[in-house]
Amino acid sequence: MVKITKGINIPLNRAEGDLEINVEVEDGIITEAWSAGTLFRGFEGMMQGRGALDGLVMTPRVCGICSITHLTAAVEALDAIAAVTPPDNARRLRNLALMVETVQSDVRQAILMFMVDFANRDAYGDHPLGADAYGRYQPLAGRAALEVIRESKRLVQVIAIIGGQWPHTSFMVPGGVTSIPEIAKLLQCRIIVERFQSWYERSILGCSIERWLAIGSVADLETWLEESPAHRDSEVGFFLRFSRKIGLQALGKGPNRFLSYGNLPLPLETEVKGTGGRMTAAGYAACAAVFSFEANKISEDVSHSWYEQDTVALHPFAGKTKPYASGQSGRLYSWVKAPRYGGEVIETGPLAEMVISGNPLFCDMIEKDGPSVMARQLARLVRPAGLLRPMALWLDELVEKRGEPFYHSVRTIPDGQGAGMIQAARGALGHWVKIQDEKISHYQIITPTAWNGSPRDEQGARGAWEEALIGTPVKDIKNPVEAGHVVRSFDPCLVCAVHCLSKGQERGRVTVGSFR
Amino acid sequence: MRGSIICIGNRFIEEDAAGLRVFDRIQALHPLPVGIELVEGGLAGLNLLPLLEHGGRVVFVDAIRGFTQAGKIVLLTHREILQAPGHFCFGHDAGLPYLLAVLPKVCEGELPEEMVLVGLEGSCVDETIEKAAEMSVSIAVHGLRGLG
Repeated sequence: MVKITKGINIPLNRAEGDLEINVEVEDGIITEAWSAGTLFRGFEGMMQGRGALDGLVMTPRVCGICSITHLTAAVEALDAIAAVTPPDNARRLRNLALMVETVQSDVRQAILMFMVDFANRDAYGDHPLGADAYGRYQPLAGRAALEVIRESKRLVQVIAIIGGQWPHTSFMVPGGVTSIPEIAKLLQCRIIVERFQSWYERSILGCSIERWLAIGSVADLETWLEESPAHRDSEVGFFLRFSRKIGLQALGKGPNRFLSYGNLPLPLETEVKGTGGRMTAAGYAACAAVFSFEANKISEDVSHSWYEQDTVALHPFAGKTKPYASGQSGRLYSWVKAPRYGGEVIETGPLAEMVISGNPLFCDMIEKDGPSVMARQLARLVRPAGLLRPMALWLDELVEKRGEPFYHSVRTIPDGQGAGMIQAARGALGHWVKIQDEKISHYQIITPTAWNGSPRDEQGARGAWEEALIGTPVKDIKNPVEAGHVVRSFDPCLVCAVHCLSKGQERGRVTVGSFR
Repeated sequence: MRGSIICIGNRFIEEDAAGLRVFDRIQALHPLPVGIELVEGGLAGLNLLPLLEHGGRVVFVDAIRGFTQAGKIVLLTHREILQAPGHFCFGHDAGLPYLLAVLPKVCEGELPEEMVLVGLEGSCVDETIEKAAEMSVSIAVHGLRGLG
């Protein structure tokens, strides 16, 4: 048996900020993995003692990618505490802003952060599709790489219009929204969304959204792929062809359990369909068997994290975030906590949303082959197909019903506790808030990357992408691109960290070597 | 000439907060000259692109690391920013080098005529923040020659 312990990096730094992943490789196969967040965030502590509404201003500044997402979670927590249901128009505007952020993130992550690895010439220079991949995804030059930036940058105008400013809008407030866009501005948003949809159908799908959504099984997907050159040459078509050639359908299985908080609360009167009052269903799934979501099953284990230790994993309403990095050398290895659902490791993100919402294609994929890098990344690439039509519908409804309320008055935030639980682009995001005497007495945030990139728990169970890495073949330890595919398929983001311009800085890596 | 001051960084991370401290200072101290826009760029990354398609002069203000002594200010030109690591690949943490590298390839309006970074190294005292604020406004109005 050959055991490799030499330390090798792959440039994960371009994607994940302060993330380090250590793996052990035996005979070319990953046998152990540890994922470490290397920066203490501590935003929760900053919130305590501040005014009840301060989360609306502070938490969107936690992350540049998920600014609207944090704003949405923060305001939903305050809605819950104030026991107010925002009017339909506020729901529509809030949902639209969140959907813009999700759609933009999905296409950028897919092309610029995941498929760019297909242009890795050291790994795929001799691959039959390697030259095509290089032409599409080469950084700063590939035609898809530039197109996705050009097309996705316009979307931010929708948030600027809805929120009244960009960046750093805080247009969501308990009870509704602060802005009532003019009809002309709403129509401008409609044009931006239509234009984006047209590009998305032409370049990403290679077909209409209706045609894509008609795919109901793996067999249907095969038919679709062979149906037309436009399908095969689209980014989805190319992704499928390339992924199969390099075996991504067999990589990165993970826990095969899924969690979604559900997303996008439906207005009381709307053409958009959903489940349980939300467009995207909430739930927990073991393989493709879906169960109802129970918020009280969430807990945070800190047994392997650099925090003051508790004897049991705590619900986020009771959780603490007190850094304590000394002692227990070797056992503690991450600033990320280990969220668990009913004590179990779960995966969250677009694939979880597809399975829990009962998408027939993805349920079929999971039942046949289990989760994989290919299924996970495909779910992200095609998620906008389910969002763009509802976005247009809600804009139409806003134009039609603009005379109706956008805000229900909330004069003060009473004492109490509430949770804002939504789906960010990367998965389940929750803010758990307690208010006392109009001040924040407790704030806990669990991000999607905490769910997917957690360290081990008290039982020794690995986090989701730690587990997904096990069994991954590494052909070249100097260029372990396969491990990168697995981790990036979860779209890790620990970016609520440091961005400053540096000379020779290196952050984030996969290291092949022992962590024991 | 139209001018923009775009302050970048994360105000919750001390070593990355200098740009936003300058933002707060400019907002508090200066009635901005006509034609000068002040933007809290924060962590917006690629979503700052639409702000760079209107020509004019753009002054970025951001924390830097490894360029000079702690507490000092460095002016970096467009070319010098592009020479920093990180200009090649996009990530959630993509910074100024990537933004400026991709800008000419995706710009649908008018590229800025001049782009400068006012870089603040390490922990900065209030005097340094104030000096950077004055410098940023001066460059936004007059260009680098405005420094005398």
